[in-house]
Amino acid sequence: MTEYAVVAEGLVKKFGSITAVAGVSFKVRYGEIFGFLGPNGAGKTTTIHMLATLLKPTAGDAWVAGHHIVKESDAVRRSIGVVFQDPSLDSELTAYENMYIHGKIYGMSGEELRYRIEEMLRFVELYEHRNRLVKYFSGGMRRRLEIARALLHKPKVLFLDEPTLGLDPQTRAHIWEYIRRLRDEGGVTIFLTTHYMDEAEELCDRLAIIDHGKIIAEGTPNQLKRLVGSDVIYLKVRAVNGAPNPCDALSAPPVMECKPLREGMIALKVSDATQAIPVILEKAASMGLKVAEVSYRKPTLNDVFLYLTGREIREEEGSEADFLKHVIRVRRFRRR
Amino acid sequence: MSRALDPFVIMAYRQFRRFLRTKARVVTSILNPIIWIAFFGLGWANAFNFPMAKAIFGGVDYLTFLTPGVTAMAVFTASFIGGVTVIWDKQFGFLKEVLVAPASRTGIILGRIFGDAVIAVLQGLAIMALSFAIAHNLNPYGVLPALAYAFILALGFTSAGVTLALKMTSMEGFQMVISLLMMPLIFLSGAFYPIKFMPDWMKWVAYINPLTYAVDGMRHYLSGVSTFNPLTDLAVLCVITAAFMALASKLFEKATID
Repeated sequence: MTEYAVVAEGLVKKFGSITAVAGVSFKVRYGEIFGFLGPNGAGKTTTIHMLATLLKPTAGDAWVAGHHIVKESDAVRRSIGVVFQDPSLDSELTAYENMYIHGKIYGMSGEELRYRIEEMLRFVELYEHRNRLVKYFSGGMRRRLEIARALLHKPKVLFLDEPTLGLDPQTRAHIWEYIRRLRDEGGVTIFLTTHYMDEAEELCDRLAIIDHGKIIAEGTPNQLKRLVGSDVIYLKVRAVNGAPNPCDALSAPPVMECKPLREGMIALKVSDATQAIPVILEKAASMGLKVAEVSYRKPTLNDVFLYLTGREIREEEGSEADFLKHVIRVRRFRRR
Repeated sequence: MSRALDPFVIMAYRQFRRFLRTKARVVTSILNPIIWIAFFGLGWANAFNFPMAKAIFGGVDYLTFLTPGVTAMAVFTASFIGGVTVIWDKQFGFLKEVLVAPASRTGIILGRIFGDAVIAVLQGLAIMALSFAIAHNLNPYGVLPALAYAFILALGFTSAGVTLALKMTSMEGFQMVISLLMMPLIFLSGAFYPIKFMPDWMKWVAYINPLTYAVDGMRHYLSGVSTFNPLTDLAVLCVITAAFMALASKLFEKATID
């Protein structure tokens, strides 16, 4: 277990009849940034809560920094820092007081504590604001303070649950910068969850794609993108009576693989899209297929998710109203 | 040793800090008893201003009878309502920060109960000072023992408030339960009128009401009249307080984020 910061073996969490996490296994190496990428409700937060000893798994085992999350929960708690998805600061207190109380609860004191608070507040560039009440902080400042607080007691593993959720692009870039510096300056292993493709791509050394409580792929961002091929062409085929199944008709070189998606879309894996598209269109026409739309791109993690699940990760995000519905559902869910 | 106490001390400190920042809580918790003493107390004091009236209140004038009761009421209200901060912590997320910490849960919850109890007693002290200004027959030597009773009362009802808050999820629900319990407990504690003139069924409720024993004990030391032996009052208060504290600790020990 010692070469891994986090080891999970078949973790399962059920809430009544709902299975939030359906048996996930993975290993995180010391010093890397490991990400959980998946849509809202995929089980990312529940997994973090289990690893952080806040929820007992229904089944399975996990070790964090070499300690079992249920049997040695106190040792796990000592070795981790957690930034939760929802705010967890005391907004009636100042930034400094929040840090001070955290340090005291974690058994730090005196000069060591004072020095470390200053160091961490400077790291997230909040030292000038140390005596302001947190309730006057912006969302980005709060998030930075939470990161500083989670690092105060020098944890071996840092858990970040959607670290840039709801932040503007500039602030997000800023927070990514801190996270990268943490890895580069060494010492801390980072486990983060996100539903932002760009975040996963920018930050993670390795990542696991999670959907409906299960890991569906794992690897470096490049390895994952290679699943899709070097280029991917999307065709929208209009349904016409008597026309053959588009994938059957087109699955021949230059197409390496064809995958049907939703609403008549198909994804074609090719090595060079610019040369393949004319060939494919010609063939489609000769087979009686009506092509309504064509596009192609270098694969992103979004294409990987699309390729693996047939859906876009963003569909789950939806509109503001859907998001609120989701929040309400989560609240209700928690209340039981 | 000092390290083991850190969570206790720091949580008490935090409750203080927060209380001093929320001015509204300071004002309302002191204003309410002042209204009782001034409008209710002074009004009835004049109505009871005839020689025979003193017999009703065990030989003292009405203000001397009433003010220890209102002081106990102030401490009781402040401490019981103090549990609301647990609900705030649940809703604003600070509870998670505490639950994920490697510190002793018992230390954390008892520290916060201690802090809130001291705050409640300080509010009681403010009312007591006002009482001495209005009622002239209170015993100044009774202040310290009365404060001791007030502190035990405060520990007990802060724990009760925290226990309730740990069970509830919404602010509205907590406030509803609290206000539903608070009024009857206050009226049936003998704070405003002697227990011995209550109808029998009411007496029985008064006897099982923990607040009764705090009112009685404090009145014994401040006014010199009481229904029970002050040591009985003390014993009952201690048992109830210990029970509520144990309950709050046990519940917090098992708390998870749900």
